[in-house]
Amino acid sequence: MASQAEIPQNSELRTRREIPKKPKTNRSNVFMSFLGSMNLAVTLLVMLSIASVIGTVLQQNQAVQDYIIKFGPFWHEVFGMLGLYHVYGAAWFVLVLVFLLVSTSVCVVRHTPRFTKDMRRFNESLSKKAIAHQPNNALFETNMAMETQQGYAQALLKHNGYRTKLHQRQDGSITVAGLKGTFNRLGYFFTHISIVIICLGGLLDSNLLLKFRELTGDLKAETRSVSLDEINQESWLGPENLSFRGSVNVPEGDKSDVLFLPYENGYLVQKLPFTIVNEAFHIEYYDTGMPKSFKSDLILYAEELDEPIKQTIEVNKPLYYKNYAIYQSSFGDGGTELNLKVHPLLSPIENSIPIETAINKVEPLKTPLGVFKAEFVDFKMHNIVPTTEEEQAKTGKKVHNNGPTMIFKVRNDQGKAWEYENYMIPVKQEERWFFMSGVRSSQADPYRYLFIPADLDRKNTRFFKYLVMLNNPIITRKLMRELYPKNPDNDQKSYDNQIELLEQLQVLFRQKGFNGISEFVSKSVPKEEQERVSDFYFGQTSFVLQTLYMELLKQEGRVEAHNEDISEFDKIWFEDALNAITGLSAYGPPMYFEMVSFTEIQATGLQITKSPGKDIVYFGSALLIIGVFFLFYVRQRRVWVLIERNPDKDGLKVTMAAKDNKKLPETTKEFESLVKQVKDYNIKINTQDSEKEQKG
Amino acid sequence: MQTNTQTENFMDEFKSSEQSSLTVRNIGWTLFVTIISIYGWYEYRNFMDIYEVGILFATAATLIWLGAFWKSFQPYTIWVTALSVLALWTYHSYGNAISANEEAFFLKYLISSQAAIMWMNALFVFATVVYFVSIFNKSEFTGKTATFLVWTAATFGFVGMLVRWRESYLINFDYGHIPVSSLYEVFILFVVMTALIYLYYEQKYKTRALGGFVMLVISAAVMFILWYTFVREAHVIQPLVPALKSWWMKIHVPANFVGYGTFSIAAMVGLAYIITSKVKEKNPNSRFVKAMPSLEVMDDVMYKNIALGFAFFTIATVLGAMWAAEAWGGYWSWDPKETWALIVWLNYAAWLHIRMSKGWRGTPMAWWALIGLFVTTFAFIGVNMFLTGLHSYGEL
Ligand code: HEM
Repeated sequence: MASQAEIPQNSELRTRREIPKKPKTNRSNVFMSFLGSMNLAVTLLVMLSIASVIGTVLQQNQAVQDYIIKFGPFWHEVFGMLGLYHVYGAAWFVLVLVFLLVSTSVCVVRHTPRFTKDMRRFNESLSKKAIAHQPNNALFETNMAMETQQGYAQALLKHNGYRTKLHQRQDGSITVAGLKGTFNRLGYFFTHISIVIICLGGLLDSNLLLKFRELTGDLKAETRSVSLDEINQESWLGPENLSFRGSVNVPEGDKSDVLFLPYENGYLVQKLPFTIVNEAFHIEYYDTGMPKSFKSDLILYAEELDEPIKQTIEVNKPLYYKNYAIYQSSFGDGGTELNLKVHPLLSPIENSIPIETAINKVEPLKTPLGVFKAEFVDFKMHNIVPTTEEEQAKTGKKVHNNGPTMIFKVRNDQGKAWEYENYMIPVKQEERWFFMSGVRSSQADPYRYLFIPADLDRKNTRFFKYLVMLNNPIITRKLMRELYPKNPDNDQKSYDNQIELLEQLQVLFRQKGFNGISEFVSKSVPKEEQERVSDFYFGQTSFVLQTLYMELLKQEGRVEAHNEDISEFDKIWFEDALNAITGLSAYGPPMYFEMVSFTEIQATGLQITKSPGKDIVYFGSALLIIGVFFLFYVRQRRVWVLIERNPDKDGLKVTMAAKDNKKLPETTKEFESLVKQVKDYNIKINTQDSEKEQKG
Repeated sequence: MQTNTQTENFMDEFKSSEQSSLTVRNIGWTLFVTIISIYGWYEYRNFMDIYEVGILFATAATLIWLGAFWKSFQPYTIWVTALSVLALWTYHSYGNAISANEEAFFLKYLISSQAAIMWMNALFVFATVVYFVSIFNKSEFTGKTATFLVWTAATFGFVGMLVRWRESYLINFDYGHIPVSSLYEVFILFVVMTALIYLYYEQKYKTRALGGFVMLVISAAVMFILWYTFVREAHVIQPLVPALKSWWMKIHVPANFVGYGTFSIAAMVGLAYIITSKVKEKNPNSRFVKAMPSLEVMDDVMYKNIALGFAFFTIATVLGAMWAAEAWGGYWSWDPKETWALIVWLNYAAWLHIRMSKGWRGTPMAWWALIGLFVTTFAFIGVNMFLTGLHSYGEL
């Protein structure tokens, strides 16, 4: 009996490093202990961290071309094979997660018997030797009665929140064993089980099932952007899909019963068991032009609903319906109707073409230069920019609204596209008004702006009139002959040559600006002549341009005769117009899209999810938090007070010992305080006794 | 039965010595917090939703508990309240015009949010120097001065935040928000949190010699605040993007910053540990080693901080996930900020496991805590600087 008690059965009594290897190590056992080992756990934690670092540093789910440009063809291939472009969906990443799940489960299972036992046991029958070997212990002698000592010890421990248990040995010695803070062990269970629960909940919401269906050939992502009825059957998902998260844009007054889920390099279409109608979309702005709030008035129709649900959703205030949630996530254009005028930039006559179209539409344009397609991409009602300091001083406003813009692309028959951003109303720059139009031939470039000067009415009429004159050498010829008839002294031929030169210079300027003329001179004129010739040509070109301009002013009634002085405004306008015309050579296909009017139609961007794992994850998270606090702020502590008769003399020998399941400095401090209290009490009783004796 | 009555008799022993937790001071404290909270609720109740009322009273309850648990927090709170009320009252008497911060003397030089934050900055840097001086001149007085400076700096910091909250409404009612939404604002939150948590440990473990080290991180953050203010003008109050307009922000962000604060303290204690143990190897009797706390205490303080940080970081991450679920429609999107929070969390989980299972102590753990600060810092600002994602606040 006694000898059995000598063998500490509970591993708690040894420090963890001393746990002896179990003699029977069969293979599955080795495997399980590997799975449940702390080393594996830490390795997995570190692996997950590293994978996550990769996932954030390397931009995920980009277009293939971007990666090729970034890494070159070889490394692009390697990285692609390692799944680094979709780390969080890569097989090896999921494998690490699964390993963590298994490892944590095994860990919990393996620790359960020991820890549950440890939570219940008081270890009151611990041997004297074992008590004396605890990390904290103290030994002292006293003259008290056994019962008093024991009673006090028990009360002291209770007072300090310990539960106690007594153990009497055959030799008459008594152990008071105290235990408290068993919730610490509960903390271990809570945290580690919660990890398993969270992982399972997460897996439920992941696209694992879709991956499986893809492997079996049942599912394939759609990569084209086509209309719904053209989408392949194997890219559709029915309402049986367990979990999803996707988005859809619904224009005002429109409805949707499908959702688009981003998947691999394309998307899938999810059929919804209800229909969402976007009645109206509202957006408010701060005075800085930043969106302040955006809201959608939605109506949700479903077969099983007698009454449709009407609700206004906004950011942070979604609509919940069964296990679906509908979030306000973005906004955009829903097909704003546009009323445009296309100005052909090379036409020698005024013949702008009106078109009625809308955002997201494509319009074919037949021109003498071939067929172009205009694709209308986006419309923005407001373009708010910070004001300059002077303007701020004048108006007190920090921002400035440049008005509506449309974004569109013009594509030639070879497929090359230019992207444009055209402002509807003129924008003020250095006290002059311009119609701005940005152009770029690649998404990666910033826009280069064309500034078309507005006339006195803030219209572009004068500019396009002047452009037509420049495009038409016949006008020039007529005008020149009228204004500067042949001098009778000159011969006809050189007069004709003179006029022809003017026409040629005008064409050259129209095509390439003043640069075109320099180029022409440096190519076709001998070196020593170049300076003289180019001076002459520039002079002649300016002469034509000015003559045409004066003619225009005369038509407008701004001047009466060609040799009159012109106003400051008209002078500056002329310079700006020449700059703009020079810029036309880099403006892409020769047409300018003027926005005449529009009817704005907005679309709300909805995100819709079905997430059966969410509540599981939340439950796990709550468990995790509670568990973590138990682990850190509840310590499982044991105290033993062994009271025995002193074999050498009268009185008692008291051994106190304490142990915490974590090695912490406060254990020692608390233990010392307990010891001190016992000793103090003993002294107190002793003095009381001796006082009584003296009195008696 | 008999033993029971006996035990009860013995229990009487403790009755007399049992000090009641209901001291006059604590009752006063509870009343103070309750009255201030109810007044705050009454004054602003029309602007709060049900969650915000909940947060207000939960905060009050936490404050009552915190003040009882840590006595020094009581005078601190009272100072912060008094100065903030003075500032709000001054604004009020100037017709609640924001321009009062240029006209009223107190506001202009002391407790408008900008003035208070500048005082905080200066005092923190000053405290760093005084702490280091106190290690070498061994004067109790110098050390106490340093501690006092940190308390004062933290007071100004908190006042600065509270007043800024009010100012955001005065500038433009639409802009109004709790100042934990931009990188500038959270830096102030960070230094104040870190300082307060440090003060608690300094008092509890009598580790004043660690102050200089912890103040290094705070001073670095102060430098950032100064740069951000003067070069980037980040102190200008900006309106909130719609995604951040939520009561979740009021709990998610502060919880995160308990984490960031404690991890920073742990790292700096780690640094102190590494230096002390190096010096000790060479010269165990050097003045420096004698001035520093023992290695065991430092190791323990490091652990205590990481444990506290880990617990709060867990809460913050969970809250973040819940908020994300409400704002973006998914509790986990592998957004860079989210992912880095996970990395930080996994890192400290590994730290705790190694300490538990392998029983590692001392230098390697100190190094790990120090390296952990780099991971944490990256999660804190690196993500905003180098990576793009949904967490749109404060791009550098
Ligand atoms: C994401 C995964 C995990 C997390 C976040 C985690 C978290 C924690 C935390 C916070 C502690 C408390 C440390 C302390 O009190 O200082 C702990 C303790 C512990 N963990 Fe984990 N753990 C994870 C996985 C694992 C795995 C896979 C094992 C399997 C070996 C494991 C075994 C243990 C053990 C044995 C303890 C000590 C419990 C005690 O004695 O009180 N953990 N864990």
